[in-house]
Amino acid sequence: MTSNSDETFPPRVLVTKIGLDGHDRGSRIVAAFLRDAGMEVIYTSPWQEIDRVVRLALEEDVDVIGVSSLATDHLLVPKLMVALEDAGLGHVKVVVGGIVPDDDEADLVDAGVSKVFHPGSARDDIVGEVAALAAKARREREQENAS
Amino acid sequence: MTGSISGPAVQEQSLVKRMRAGELGALARVITELERLSKSAPQLLEDMAPFLGQAIVVGFTGPPGAGKSTLVNAYIGRLRAENKTVGVIAVDPSSPISGGAILGDRIRMSEHTGDDGVFIRSLASRGHVGGLSPAAVRIIDAMDASGRDVIIVETVGAGQSNIDVAEIADIRVVLSAPGLGDDIQAMKAGILEIADLLVVNKADLPDAERTYRQLQFALSLRRGGGDTSVVKTVATTGGGVDELAAKIAEIATAASRSPAERRRRRARQLLAWAVTDLIDQRIRKEGGPEVDRLCDEILTAELSPIDAARRLLGT
Amino acid sequence: MKNEAVQLPLPGFDTARAEWRSDYNEQLGDPPNPRNRSGIEVKPLYTLADWDPANYMDDLGFPGQLPMTRGIYATMHRGRSWSQRQLIGLGTPEDYNERLKNLIAHGSNAGSLIPCNSVYRGYDGDEVDPLLLGTCGAVVNTVEDMGICYRDIPIGDFSTALNDPSPFTLLALLLCVAKRRGIPWNKITGTSNQSDYISHFVCNHMFFRLALPGARRVLLDHIVFAQKHVPGWNPLSVVGQHMQQGGATPGEAMGLTLSTAIQYANDCVARGLDPDQFLPRFTFFFDISISFFEEIAKFRAGRRVWQRLVRERFGAQNPKAWRFKFHAQTSGVDLTREQPLNNISRVTVQAMAGIFGGLQSLHTDAYDEVLSVPTEKAARIAVATQEILKEEAHLTNVIDPLGGSYYVETLTNEMEAKILEVIERIDQAGGMFAAVETGLVQSMVGDSALAFQERVESGEETIVGVNKNLVADDDQMAREPLKPPSGEVIEAQLMRLKRFKAERNQEAVTRALDDLARAGESVDENVFGKIVEAADANATHGEICHRLREVYGFGEPLIVP
Repeated sequence: MTSNSDETFPPRVLVTKIGLDGHDRGSRIVAAFLRDAGMEVIYTSPWQEIDRVVRLALEEDVDVIGVSSLATDHLLVPKLMVALEDAGLGHVKVVVGGIVPDDDEADLVDAGVSKVFHPGSARDDIVGEVAALAAKARREREQENAS
Repeated sequence: MTGSISGPAVQEQSLVKRMRAGELGALARVITELERLSKSAPQLLEDMAPFLGQAIVVGFTGPPGAGKSTLVNAYIGRLRAENKTVGVIAVDPSSPISGGAILGDRIRMSEHTGDDGVFIRSLASRGHVGGLSPAAVRIIDAMDASGRDVIIVETVGAGQSNIDVAEIADIRVVLSAPGLGDDIQAMKAGILEIADLLVVNKADLPDAERTYRQLQFALSLRRGGGDTSVVKTVATTGGGVDELAAKIAEIATAASRSPAERRRRRARQLLAWAVTDLIDQRIRKEGGPEVDRLCDEILTAELSPIDAARRLLGT
Repeated sequence: MKNEAVQLPLPGFDTARAEWRSDYNEQLGDPPNPRNRSGIEVKPLYTLADWDPANYMDDLGFPGQLPMTRGIYATMHRGRSWSQRQLIGLGTPEDYNERLKNLIAHGSNAGSLIPCNSVYRGYDGDEVDPLLLGTCGAVVNTVEDMGICYRDIPIGDFSTALNDPSPFTLLALLLCVAKRRGIPWNKITGTSNQSDYISHFVCNHMFFRLALPGARRVLLDHIVFAQKHVPGWNPLSVVGQHMQQGGATPGEAMGLTLSTAIQYANDCVARGLDPDQFLPRFTFFFDISISFFEEIAKFRAGRRVWQRLVRERFGAQNPKAWRFKFHAQTSGVDLTREQPLNNISRVTVQAMAGIFGGLQSLHTDAYDEVLSVPTEKAARIAVATQEILKEEAHLTNVIDPLGGSYYVETLTNEMEAKILEVIERIDQAGGMFAAVETGLVQSMVGDSALAFQERVESGEETIVGVNKNLVADDDQMAREPLKPPSGEVIEAQLMRLKRFKAERNQEAVTRALDDLARAGESVDENVFGKIVEAADANATHGEICHRLREVYGFGEPLIVP
């Protein structure tokens, strides 16, 4: 069952950083892009623990989580994917943006990450992809609920 | 959805049950359904009805830079020490252009993220005239029905939005801080009228005493303002938070309303919002000969705007 | 600046200029002028109508003389070229030691130490997810680790830049290693590269370990300690790089950095220190973007503003106090993941801007920085780039070679105006400390970051390979990611830490940490002195940071989304 109001409601996106690095220029810019595209962005400080990200995603009922990683913190994302699944948030889509070596990208995708954005990604691509993923997340959740 | 009529109802009922049992995911889900007025919303509200009106709703408002989030954070800590469960609605403004929003208020409440006794939900004002989305009332209902003892509504910004929060909160706490001079002027205009409790935060700053005196002076001009307390706090260190909590509890006891009264009060605001929106739309977008005639009379000073409004509404 | 109306008594000038302009307009149709990153309009041609050489003595003077525009030393790069500082780090102290020796063999004459991100956050290796250990820098937690980093390296003859935020545990560990090797501290030279806690609070949050009041106190104690015990050490580097990497325009970054330096100098004065004594040890650290002339003008203007500030605001008499000494690093923000070998060209241009800007020390980025932690091959090319510019292109033969260029001088004046505007704004806000506490600076930097990105999105700023000249990526050979240390290596490192903790005199550690906490709570003791003592008692980096966090609070940056 997909209610009409659900579709007209803005996507809710959690923009966050996990691990140790604290550079947030990228996550701030992406948050502003998503806001300017009409989305509602829950923004956090860096160094979120995985449990906290899961809790935030749950409380805020987000559709997409964007993890910014400029150092090597993306290595923790597979753990986040497992934790989300365990918390019953398997429908929430995860994207990673920042500096991710090619080999690691394949590992992230294997772990269930929907998309990795590299430096130089165009705004329209980011916005379009996140919007599409949010819609997908809502559909999947409705299906889970209905079943 | 299957053809079974009872199917969804059973499911929603169990959602309320799960929420009542403390399952955070269920509460988050109920909030979303109510917020978006999905098809299951009426059923959810019906299931929740017996549990509504129990929580105390405390509104925190004041100009940007006054330290609201930090004070709310400290107040939450105080409530948790008393073993009270808390729900927080953190409101940030939506972009008037895109309708999107960056919700960053809860950053300063992150220490409570791991505590099941605290549930925080960020809410965008979503372009509502008053700055507070009507969805706030429904989120309060969800948190209320889940059994939270205290629900905090934190709104950013000065002016109209602050007055909105007044209508849906049982207790209105209005903050200021030294160095926000212009905003005190703005506060005098309306917000002081609705405060049950005034707070001078950042009371360790040199100018705090001046702000304190300004507020007291402003209160002295207000009808019945003499009964309103002004509390000094330093949210970053927790200074004065005990007194703040005690005052809030005191006011809550004095004003004890029945659950039905509390809910009706919130519903009244929903109605007022809806009426305002409707009339606004009728006058601005639809117009019509009667509106045109009244406008002309306002322009020629035959009628004051308020008299014209009375005539329009037939009161 | 519109100087078109200036009347010059130069015969034929006006006629010739009008003729040129009409030719120009005829061919290009009088298009609008572009603006540089700092928002300054850039004209197609500059002449003496824009900058009059009659102002030579006021605007330029001579190298080593006021107003310092042409450089802080009489000889500049003729006398001493810049120090080549390469940021290196990775994995274990053994890895670091090996790469350091390798870089020295390839021409580096000074080294910097980048610790692992876990160290930056103030943790020991046994407190973080092992997956992240040693992936970004060297894991250095103990005196033993530091000793291995500098094994067979003569600490006393080698200048070291420590990327070591407050509370400066790495310097404490280094001093302990020197002490144990019998090297007197007055032989130790180098810089605390990351002492600028304000820039960490605003932009480089990872380095922000202690809450603001604690960071402020420990910095001052560290300056006082160095002045007394390690006179060859530069205890303060004010880091404009973080501001610019965070999004500030070059003009803003320079203005904010100078405002930060004013704040620190004011704090030193309040502590009773003599500006003529502490100012000569102030150093700066900047980003060099690819906006070539803008960067050159930024450095020249910054030099000119600084000498004026120290003389007017602090009454500095000592000519050494007027010197604006800076290290610069080519900007990683300009590097692209697409066609990464293009980055070698970018770094070359950036490095040239820094050299023409009169830097004292240079780090050139490796082309693959944007792909992963730099590989050894890429780091070698980065060093070679500096040598090519120096030895083959002979960029060091002439001091301030662009001085007197109508464009560069005009731009230098315009950048100076931008810088002064920022300083004025921060003054109005009550100084840098107040301006970062309220989030004013964070908002400025964030707004500029977004504005720049909008320029890229709209195509106003071209980035080859990203929004222009898109080609199939043929640089696969450039993408050989550096392998993070293996699980066994990290395990061995953690075992060493465990053994170190087990074998030390625990009582002495406890006593030293208690002492440290007491000093932190006192008003008159030197906290940094106690940090050195704790390190000497074999307390670890993490233990020292935690103890100080108990006293001062955990460093939480102010996030302004």
